[in-house]
Amino acid sequence: MTEPGIDTLPVRLDGVEKRYGRRLVLDRVSLEIPPGITGLVGPNGAGKSTLVRAILGLVRLAAGRVQVLGLDPAVSPRQVRQLIGVVPEDDASIPGLSGVEMVQYAARLSGLPATEALRRAHEVLDWCDAGQERYRGVETLSVGMRQKVAFAAAIVHDPQIVILDEPTNGLDPLERRAMLGRLVALARDHGKTILISTHVLRDVQSICDRVTLLVRGRVRLAGSIADLTGTADRDLRLRATGPLDALVKRLGARGIPARLADTGGAVLLHAAEPTAFVAVWEEVGRAGVEAWALEPERRPLEDVFLAALQAADEADAQRGSHASA
Amino acid sequence: MPLHDVGYRAWKGLPRPSGAAGVIASTGIRLAWKSRWLRRVMLFAWSPALMFAGGFFAFEQAIEEGAIGAGRNATRRLDSFGMIGNLVATSLGGQLEDPEAARRTVWSRLLLAFMRAPQAVLLAVVVGLVAPKLIAGDLRARAWLVYFTRPVSRVDYILGKVGVLAAIVTLITLLPAVVLWLVGVLVSPSLSVAAATWDLPLRVIGAAAAVTVPTVLLALAYSSLTAESRIATFAWFATWLACWIAHGALTGADAAASARTRGTAAIAVDPFDDSSPAFMPRTSPRLSWLARAAGIDNTVDRWAWLSLYHAQGVVQAWIFGIEKRLAVVLPSLASLLAVTVGSILVLLVRVDAPARA
Repeated sequence: MTEPGIDTLPVRLDGVEKRYGRRLVLDRVSLEIPPGITGLVGPNGAGKSTLVRAILGLVRLAAGRVQVLGLDPAVSPRQVRQLIGVVPEDDASIPGLSGVEMVQYAARLSGLPATEALRRAHEVLDWCDAGQERYRGVETLSVGMRQKVAFAAAIVHDPQIVILDEPTNGLDPLERRAMLGRLVALARDHGKTILISTHVLRDVQSICDRVTLLVRGRVRLAGSIADLTGTADRDLRLRATGPLDALVKRLGARGIPARLADTGGAVLLHAAEPTAFVAVWEEVGRAGVEAWALEPERRPLEDVFLAALQAADEADAQRGSHASA
Repeated sequence: MPLHDVGYRAWKGLPRPSGAAGVIASTGIRLAWKSRWLRRVMLFAWSPALMFAGGFFAFEQAIEEGAIGAGRNATRRLDSFGMIGNLVATSLGGQLEDPEAARRTVWSRLLLAFMRAPQAVLLAVVVGLVAPKLIAGDLRARAWLVYFTRPVSRVDYILGKVGVLAAIVTLITLLPAVVLWLVGVLVSPSLSVAAATWDLPLRVIGAAAAVTVPTVLLALAYSSLTAESRIATFAWFATWLACWIAHGALTGADAAASARTRGTAAIAVDPFDDSSPAFMPRTSPRLSWLARAAGIDNTVDRWAWLSLYHAQGVVQAWIFGIEKRLAVVLPSLASLLAVTVGSILVLLVRVDAPARA
């Protein structure tokens, strides 16, 4: 699947620096985006959009290097953009075209022959569950439908890398779930590399394999979701219904530290060893509790995000005080 | 769930991204053609061709009836078509004694007049209707994201947009002019006239290019400077009008100065001291507008380079072989080149500026 360059890593950034005038927007960003779904998070003005533009070869870098499947976007922008599909955050459309014409147009701009572009446009719109609304003018479509059209336009040429900027913006819960499902299907079933730039950390935690936190142009955190949100003490969460407080008491009596989860409907088992599982299940039965999942406890990504932001603020403040001293 | 949903499937074809400009142009033409106003103006733009076709017919009829040529018969000049043809030939400076020489001169001047008088003005209107939305509309709808996140370069984009306008301009200048030449051939006594005037279609293409290239690029450059197409439209028409007024004012001032110094009637100053009688007015008042448009009765227009319309007229006259003095043509040619190069530079800087910001 990865033919164009020698490098099999979809996206690699090495010491990338970008300035707008005197403002440093990307500060020595080094990042590797492997196959799968990667979330790019950060506060407004963190440099996420500039990072995406750097990957597309749209901006001239002050320093550093970007490689997309072994190709340099600054040298071969056409080839790189052929490999990438982009869903922009803002509504971007050609007034006067219908939804299907818009997707067909995108396909033709990406080099598909006219008839093939039309066939492919219908195919991906079917997959996106676009229905008959695809024949309406893009400027008259609902937000959700426009998002579907934009997504279909991004994947119509079957790119190896898909970059999405706030893909669930303005979608209702059902549509949001469907959109996330499509992304997972593209990554898992078709081997695509997906980069999602978003503020919705819940989405990132639910579908991403990895996450990168960008603050003031610098990568402050990067790693797999499992590593970043896992607890150091390997806590477990027992999802269950019934007399959970009785279960907590019973487990305490057996020497297994446990407490009720703040969210309710679960018991948190602190640093439980696998050997204790038999005892846990015995007490579940005795307490008359109906258990339906025992899983590693995860910290909400939001907590990780806020902690990293705070650390970044402190580090920058410290650096500032050193500089002034 | 759609009946034909086959899920997501990989596309195994081979992309051909080199044709992006053609795709942009064809889609742009289709979208522009949806405008009822444009369709009406385009239809209207062909109506002057009917009148000029009449001119070709009258002239050829005059030759046929012997009203033009060595053996012309005075009694037959009473024939109305012969008279009109004769009038056309006289108006357009044809050498009446030699039909072949007269044909070349009259056809060239008819074609020039057609391309200058009605078509150049209509062209300004049509371009003013279509061009401002082409890039400004994309900036407003953020459609640049659609283009520049795909394998589309700035040059592809500009060529595509130029293609939209060039197609429309071709439909109202080049195509009717070539059709007029064909009409001339068809109404002439012999098809061998086509061989004798084979260069005229090529000159028509050159003259159409002289109009199309600077006009289209300037209009697109204005469009790329704003996301509000109204502002681009205003700038476009304001430029034409201001240049026309400036040209008229300066030419008028020259004429007044000339009248004072020479004590003659208002005859424009000829800075190249070309006082040949060939430039004296010699046209019947009925067709004086045609003569003016065809490049007759003009002394050297030293302010032509100031106005897009007049500069194009001078260059077109040169292309048709009517204006032969390089000193007259060069300022206008330089002016059109400057407009073209300046517009290209503006376009190159502006079209993907939001993507780089």
